[in-house]
Amino acid sequence: MIKVKGLSKSFKKNQVLKSISTEIGEGSVVAVIGPSGSGKSTFLRCLNGLETATEGNIWVSGEEITSPKANLAKIRENIGMVFQHFHLFPHMTVLENITFAPIQVKGKSKQDAEKIGQELLAKVGLSEKANAYPSSLSGGQKQRVAIARALAMEPKMMLFDEPTSALDPEMVKEVLDVMKSLIHTGMTMAIVTHEMGFAKEVADRILFLDGGVIVEDATPEVFFSSPKSARAQDFLAKVL
Amino acid sequence: MGFDFSRLVPSIPFILEGIWFTLTVVVGGAALGLLIGMILSFMRISKNRVLDGIAAGYTSIFRGTPLIVQLVLLYYVLIDLTGIDLGLYWSTILALGLNSGAYMAEIIRAGILAVDKGQSEAAMALGVPYSKIMGKIIMPQALKNILPAIINELTALTKESAIVNIIGAQDIMRRSMLVGMRNFRFIEPMLLAAAIYYVLVMIISSIGKLVERRLAKSDQS
Repeated sequence: MIKVKGLSKSFKKNQVLKSISTEIGEGSVVAVIGPSGSGKSTFLRCLNGLETATEGNIWVSGEEITSPKANLAKIRENIGMVFQHFHLFPHMTVLENITFAPIQVKGKSKQDAEKIGQELLAKVGLSEKANAYPSSLSGGQKQRVAIARALAMEPKMMLFDEPTSALDPEMVKEVLDVMKSLIHTGMTMAIVTHEMGFAKEVADRILFLDGGVIVEDATPEVFFSSPKSARAQDFLAKVL
Repeated sequence: MGFDFSRLVPSIPFILEGIWFTLTVVVGGAALGLLIGMILSFMRISKNRVLDGIAAGYTSIFRGTPLIVQLVLLYYVLIDLTGIDLGLYWSTILALGLNSGAYMAEIIRAGILAVDKGQSEAAMALGVPYSKIMGKIIMPQALKNILPAIINELTALTKESAIVNIIGAQDIMRRSMLVGMRNFRFIEPMLLAAAIYYVLVMIISSIGKLVERRLAKSDQS
């Protein structure tokens, strides 16, 4: 699904990613964890071209997104993204947020888009909020709408950039539950998260980033019980 | 001394007729200014250095010189140099528009930059093309935020339009001056002019507040 080869990213003189190579197979769920500043969010944002790679190549479904000729908008239609701070469109209702891209990008009719939108709202448990504006929602509700908005484009994979980090503790579960149900549908997912319990429970694979490199790439069982590197042991000792 | 409005009364209709001129040049100038301002602000935020430079230069010159000088240059010098005579009416609209465009550009640019970067990122991640991100996501939010500043600019333009009397345009100010000169009494026609400008500004501000309240509906929690 996604192939990354020699990916480096620098912001001015600050090199955030250092020659990362990995693959994310179809249907797999990869949790990207690591200390803050390790480059995990930047790595995720490179996967849909929100950050331009300084060096290296990324292929999504065989198409190279790092090529200057790449049609990024087209590629992004197939990659949903959920942000830490939701980024719902405040001047649109919940339903309009969800139907905006299907109508504007895919050219769906309003009726079709709204039908799908209502179904998705039902899935994330927010049917009654269809006509509310984002400012009236709680953080957990906003994030569930953001997930529905991304799913409305019927993406082949989903990127989650710390989806629960901005939430009050009591709202984390409702968002994680929605993500779990999404995993059961076989969706390919890359999740940057600080929720170790969640990563352990749902991920097929853990990528542990530190200092801009993948320090460990292992199954959750192996990673959480017997991490090989000192840095990962250190990190786990602090967070668990 | 004291006031004597009796001699003003016959001239009131003459002065009031100036409202039409003032209003249409202000509305025309503001519309042109908004258009120029939008184009300039898009040039300013574009990654193209040349476009950015041209827009920055334009803004700097038109904000850095008096409107009255721009007006005179546009009206008299344009005719001298090129023979193009736009007439009082269109010269006034053009001068107000060109000048106001520079101010609107800065207002709009600030409004666009004030919209959270996450908004365009979220739209980009959905595959929305740039033109639609600007038109349907960024600009609606930017315009809502800058509406008070735009209204402010409109009222300023209404008041500043009084200087077009310098080229002989028959606006409220010019007509009041003429009446004053004819009667050798300026106090009453000027008071009337002040009252008319004040009412116009109040009307514009209240329309602005009304629109603002309309747009605020998505803020209700």
